[in-house]
Amino acid sequence: MLSCREVIEQLWDYLDGELPAERMEQIAEHLAECGRCYPQYQFEFKFLEALARQPQTAPRPPRELVERLQRLVSVG
Amino acid sequence: MGPNPDPPRATFEQELLAAIEAVHRFAVHLTRDPTRAEDLVQETYLRALAHRDQYQPGTNCRAWLFTICRNAFLKGARHSDREIATGDASLEALAAAGIHAGMAGSDPQGAVFERPELADAIRVALEKLPEEFRTTVVLVDLEDQSYAEAARVMGVPVGTVRSRLFRARRMLQEDLLAYAEDLGLLAPQEDMN
Repeated sequence: MLSCREVIEQLWDYLDGELPAERMEQIAEHLAECGRCYPQYQFEFKFLEALARQPQTAPRPPRELVERLQRLVSVG
Repeated sequence: MGPNPDPPRATFEQELLAAIEAVHRFAVHLTRDPTRAEDLVQETYLRALAHRDQYQPGTNCRAWLFTICRNAFLKGARHSDREIATGDASLEALAAAGIHAGMAGSDPQGAVFERPELADAIRVALEKLPEEFRTTVVLVDLEDQSYAEAARVMGVPVGTVRSRLFRARRMLQEDLLAYAEDLGLLAPQEDMN
Protein backbone atom coordinates (compact mmCIF):
# COMPACT_ATOMS: atom_id res chain seq x y z
CA MET A 1 0.00 0.00 0.00
CA LEU A 2 1.35 3.39 -0.91
CA SER A 3 1.84 6.00 1.79
CA CYS A 4 -0.25 9.18 1.80
CA ARG A 5 2.86 11.21 0.98
CA GLU A 6 3.60 9.07 -2.10
CA VAL A 7 0.02 9.50 -3.25
CA ILE A 8 -0.03 13.26 -2.71
CA GLU A 9 3.29 13.65 -4.53
CA GLN A 10 1.82 11.91 -7.57
CA LEU A 11 -1.75 13.14 -7.34
CA TRP A 12 -1.43 15.61 -10.22
CA ASP A 13 0.22 12.97 -12.42
CA TYR A 14 -2.61 10.60 -11.50
CA LEU A 15 -5.29 13.15 -12.35
CA ASP A 16 -3.55 13.83 -15.66
CA GLY A 17 -3.39 10.11 -16.48
CA GLU A 18 0.38 10.33 -16.83
CA LEU A 19 1.43 7.37 -14.68
CA PRO A 20 2.02 3.74 -15.67
CA ALA A 21 -1.12 1.57 -15.44
CA GLU A 22 0.08 -0.28 -12.35
CA ARG A 23 0.74 2.94 -10.42
CA MET A 24 -2.61 4.36 -11.55
CA GLU A 25 -4.31 1.31 -10.03
CA GLN A 26 -2.32 1.55 -6.79
CA ILE A 27 -3.30 5.18 -6.34
CA ALA A 28 -6.93 4.47 -7.17
CA GLU A 29 -6.95 1.75 -4.51
CA HIS A 30 -5.39 4.08 -1.96
CA LEU A 31 -7.87 6.86 -2.70
CA ALA A 32 -10.80 4.46 -2.35
CA GLU A 33 -9.72 3.66 1.19
CA CYS A 34 -8.08 6.82 2.48
CA GLY A 35 -10.22 9.45 4.19
CA ARG A 36 -7.30 11.90 4.21
CA CYS A 37 -6.29 11.77 0.56
CA TYR A 38 -9.70 11.39 -1.07
CA PRO A 39 -10.96 14.91 -0.20
CA GLN A 40 -7.81 16.39 -1.70
CA TYR A 41 -8.35 14.30 -4.83
CA GLN A 42 -11.89 15.72 -5.08
CA PHE A 43 -10.64 19.25 -4.49
CA GLU A 44 -7.99 19.02 -7.24
CA PHE A 45 -10.40 17.23 -9.58
CA LYS A 46 -12.95 20.05 -9.29
CA PHE A 47 -10.21 22.64 -9.82
CA LEU A 48 -9.08 20.88 -13.03
CA GLU A 49 -12.69 20.57 -14.18
CA ALA A 50 -13.12 24.33 -13.76
CA LEU A 51 -10.01 24.92 -15.89
CA ALA A 52 -11.21 22.48 -18.53
CA ARG A 53 -14.48 24.44 -18.84
CA GLN A 54 -12.56 27.58 -19.86
CA PRO A 55 -12.48 26.86 -23.62
CA GLN A 56 -16.29 26.88 -23.61
CA THR A 57 -16.25 30.50 -22.46
CA ALA A 58 -13.41 31.60 -24.74
CA PRO A 59 -14.17 34.06 -27.56
CA ARG A 60 -14.82 32.37 -30.89
CA PRO A 61 -12.60 33.38 -33.80
CA PRO A 62 -14.21 36.20 -35.78
CA ARG A 63 -16.07 35.08 -38.89
CA GLU A 64 -13.80 37.12 -41.19
CA LEU A 65 -10.72 35.39 -39.78
CA VAL A 66 -12.25 31.95 -40.30
CA GLU A 67 -13.20 32.82 -43.87
CA ARG A 68 -9.72 34.22 -44.56
CA LEU A 69 -8.14 31.01 -43.26
CA GLN A 70 -10.52 28.86 -45.27
CA ARG A 71 -9.48 30.71 -48.41
CA LEU A 72 -5.81 30.39 -47.50
CA VAL A 73 -6.08 26.66 -46.88
CA SER A 74 -8.05 26.07 -50.07
CA VAL A 75 -5.36 27.68 -52.21
CA GLY A 76 -2.42 26.55 -50.06
CA MET B 1 -14.44 -11.14 -45.34
CA GLY B 2 -11.28 -9.33 -44.28
CA PRO B 3 -10.94 -6.73 -41.57
CA ASN B 4 -12.46 -3.33 -42.17
CA PRO B 5 -10.00 -0.96 -43.77
CA ASP B 6 -8.86 1.98 -41.65
CA PRO B 7 -11.29 4.89 -41.87
CA PRO B 8 -10.10 7.51 -44.31
CA ARG B 9 -7.76 9.88 -42.61
CA ALA B 10 -8.70 13.55 -42.59
CA THR B 11 -6.78 15.46 -45.18
CA PHE B 12 -4.18 17.97 -44.12
CA GLU B 13 -6.54 20.79 -45.12
CA GLN B 14 -9.41 19.30 -43.10
CA GLU B 15 -7.18 19.01 -40.05
CA LEU B 16 -6.06 22.63 -40.41
CA LEU B 17 -9.63 23.86 -40.66
CA ALA B 18 -10.82 21.77 -37.74
CA ALA B 19 -8.15 23.33 -35.52
CA ILE B 20 -8.99 26.99 -36.13
CA GLU B 21 -10.91 27.48 -32.90
CA ALA B 22 -8.29 25.77 -30.75
CA VAL B 23 -5.42 27.69 -32.35
CA HIS B 24 -7.35 30.95 -31.94
CA ARG B 25 -7.95 30.21 -28.23
CA PHE B 26 -4.28 29.41 -27.81
CA ALA B 27 -3.26 32.63 -29.57
CA VAL B 28 -5.60 34.69 -27.37
CA HIS B 29 -3.96 33.19 -24.29
CA LEU B 30 -0.49 33.88 -25.64
CA THR B 31 -1.05 37.45 -26.76
CA ARG B 32 -3.79 38.50 -24.31
CA ASP B 33 -4.94 40.74 -27.15
CA PRO B 34 -7.71 39.74 -29.60
CA THR B 35 -6.30 41.76 -32.52
CA ARG B 36 -2.78 40.41 -32.10
CA ALA B 37 -4.26 36.95 -31.70
CA GLU B 38 -5.92 37.18 -35.12
CA ASP B 39 -2.64 38.20 -36.75
CA LEU B 40 -0.86 35.39 -34.95
CA VAL B 41 -3.40 32.79 -36.09
CA GLN B 42 -3.07 33.93 -39.68
CA GLU B 43 0.72 33.81 -39.47
CA THR B 44 0.49 30.33 -37.93
CA TYR B 45 -1.58 29.08 -40.86
CA LEU B 46 0.69 30.70 -43.42
CA ARG B 47 3.71 29.02 -41.84
CA ALA B 48 1.87 25.70 -41.59
CA LEU B 49 1.01 25.79 -45.27
CA ALA B 50 4.55 26.79 -46.21
CA HIS B 51 5.97 23.88 -44.18
CA ARG B 52 3.29 21.28 -44.83
CA ASP B 53 6.00 18.78 -45.78
CA GLN B 54 7.10 18.78 -42.13
CA TYR B 55 3.73 17.57 -40.90
CA GLN B 56 3.40 13.84 -40.47
CA PRO B 57 -0.14 12.69 -41.29
CA GLY B 58 -1.81 10.90 -38.43
CA THR B 59 0.11 12.79 -35.75
CA ASN B 60 -1.36 15.46 -33.48
CA CYS B 61 -2.09 18.32 -35.89
CA ARG B 62 -3.27 20.66 -33.15
CA ALA B 63 -0.01 20.20 -31.22
CA TRP B 64 1.95 20.87 -34.43
CA LEU B 65 -0.03 24.10 -34.97
CA PHE B 66 0.42 25.11 -31.32
CA THR B 67 4.19 24.71 -31.79
CA ILE B 68 4.19 26.92 -34.87
CA CYS B 69 1.94 29.44 -33.14
CA ARG B 70 4.13 29.73 -30.08
CA ASN B 71 7.33 29.96 -32.09
CA ALA B 72 5.78 32.76 -34.15
CA PHE B 73 4.64 34.48 -30.98
CA LEU B 74 8.06 34.25 -29.34
CA LYS B 75 9.76 35.49 -32.48
CA GLY B 76 7.49 38.54 -32.50
CA ALA B 77 7.52 39.25 -28.79
CA ARG B 78 10.63 40.22 -26.96
CA HIS B 79 10.92 37.05 -25.00
CA SER B 80 12.18 37.72 -21.55
CA ASP B 81 15.47 36.05 -20.73
CA ARG B 82 14.54 36.23 -17.11
CA GLU B 83 12.66 33.05 -16.53
CA ILE B 84 11.14 32.40 -13.16
CA ALA B 85 12.93 29.54 -11.51
CA THR B 86 10.93 26.35 -11.72
CA GLY B 87 10.77 24.42 -8.51
CA ASP B 88 10.85 20.73 -7.90
CA ALA B 89 7.59 19.10 -9.03
CA SER B 90 7.26 16.95 -5.92
CA LEU B 91 7.61 20.00 -3.71
CA GLU B 92 4.94 21.75 -5.74
CA ALA B 93 2.64 18.76 -5.27
CA LEU B 94 3.19 18.96 -1.53
CA ALA B 95 2.59 22.71 -1.60
CA ALA B 96 -0.75 22.00 -3.26
CA ALA B 97 -1.52 19.72 -0.33
CA GLY B 98 -0.76 22.70 1.91
CA ILE B 99 -3.35 24.78 0.08
CA HIS B 100 -5.87 22.01 0.49
CA ALA B 101 -5.07 21.68 4.19
CA GLY B 102 -5.87 25.39 4.57
CA MET B 103 -9.32 24.69 3.11
CA ALA B 104 -10.13 21.95 5.59
CA GLY B 105 -12.52 24.10 7.60
CA SER B 106 -14.32 25.81 4.74
CA ASP B 107 -14.39 23.80 1.51
CA PRO B 108 -12.33 20.61 1.61
CA GLN B 109 -13.96 19.17 -1.51
CA GLY B 110 -13.48 22.22 -3.73
CA ALA B 111 -17.16 23.04 -4.29
CA VAL B 112 -16.12 26.65 -4.82
CA PHE B 113 -14.58 25.72 -8.17
CA GLU B 114 -18.06 24.90 -9.44
CA ARG B 115 -19.30 28.45 -8.79
CA PRO B 116 -20.04 30.28 -12.06
CA GLU B 117 -18.66 33.49 -10.51
CA LEU B 118 -15.18 31.99 -10.81
CA ALA B 119 -15.20 31.56 -14.62
CA ASP B 120 -14.04 35.11 -15.33
CA ALA B 121 -11.65 35.01 -12.41
CA ILE B 122 -9.96 31.94 -13.90
CA ARG B 123 -9.42 33.79 -17.18
CA VAL B 124 -7.95 36.79 -15.35
CA ALA B 125 -5.76 34.60 -13.15
CA LEU B 126 -4.46 32.77 -16.24
CA GLU B 127 -3.58 36.06 -17.91
CA LYS B 128 -1.51 37.06 -14.90
CA LEU B 129 0.73 34.00 -15.12
CA PRO B 130 4.15 34.42 -16.77
CA GLU B 131 4.09 33.15 -20.37
CA GLU B 132 5.87 29.83 -19.77
CA PHE B 133 3.46 28.91 -17.00
CA ARG B 134 0.38 30.16 -18.82
CA THR B 135 1.24 28.24 -21.98
CA THR B 136 1.82 25.05 -20.01
CA VAL B 137 -1.57 25.24 -18.27
CA VAL B 138 -3.36 26.16 -21.47
CA LEU B 139 -1.84 23.23 -23.36
CA VAL B 140 -2.39 20.57 -20.70
CA ASP B 141 -5.46 21.71 -18.76
CA LEU B 142 -7.45 23.61 -21.38
CA GLU B 143 -6.40 21.95 -24.62
CA ASP B 144 -5.95 18.43 -23.25
CA GLN B 145 -2.42 17.84 -24.50
CA SER B 146 -0.22 15.27 -22.73
CA TYR B 147 2.94 16.28 -20.86
CA ALA B 148 4.99 14.89 -23.78
CA GLU B 149 3.01 16.86 -26.37
CA ALA B 150 3.28 20.07 -24.34
CA ALA B 151 7.03 19.46 -24.00
CA ARG B 152 7.36 19.15 -27.77
CA VAL B 153 5.33 22.33 -28.35
CA MET B 154 7.55 24.31 -25.98
CA GLY B 155 10.83 22.56 -26.81
CA VAL B 156 11.58 21.67 -23.18
CA PRO B 157 11.98 18.39 -21.27
CA VAL B 158 8.87 16.68 -19.88
CA GLY B 159 10.16 17.32 -16.35
CA THR B 160 10.10 21.05 -17.02
CA VAL B 161 6.49 20.83 -18.20
CA ARG B 162 5.57 18.96 -15.05
CA SER B 163 7.27 21.49 -12.75
CA ARG B 164 5.81 24.48 -14.56
CA LEU B 165 2.37 22.92 -14.62
CA PHE B 166 2.28 22.15 -10.92
CA ARG B 167 3.67 25.56 -10.02
CA ALA B 168 1.14 27.27 -12.29
CA ARG B 169 -1.74 25.31 -10.80
CA ARG B 170 -0.65 26.31 -7.32
CA MET B 171 -0.44 29.98 -8.32
CA LEU B 172 -3.90 29.77 -9.90
CA GLN B 173 -5.40 28.11 -6.84
CA GLU B 174 -3.95 30.72 -4.51
CA ASP B 175 -5.28 33.51 -6.70
CA LEU B 176 -8.74 31.96 -7.13
CA LEU B 177 -9.21 31.07 -3.49
CA ALA B 178 -8.22 34.58 -2.42
CA TYR B 179 -10.72 35.96 -4.93
CA ALA B 180 -13.45 33.61 -3.69
CA GLU B 181 -12.71 34.72 -0.16
CA ASP B 182 -13.04 38.39 -1.16
CA LEU B 183 -16.41 37.61 -2.75
CA GLY B 184 -17.53 35.95 0.45
CA LEU B 185 -17.79 32.56 -1.23
CA LEU B 186 -15.36 31.10 1.28
CA ALA B 187 -14.58 31.61 4.91
CA PRO B 188 -11.11 33.13 5.37
CA GLN B 189 -8.49 30.43 4.95
CA GLU B 190 -5.94 29.32 7.40
CA ASP B 191 -2.35 30.14 6.52
CA MET B 192 -1.65 28.33 3.26
CA ASN B 193 2.11 28.01 3.72
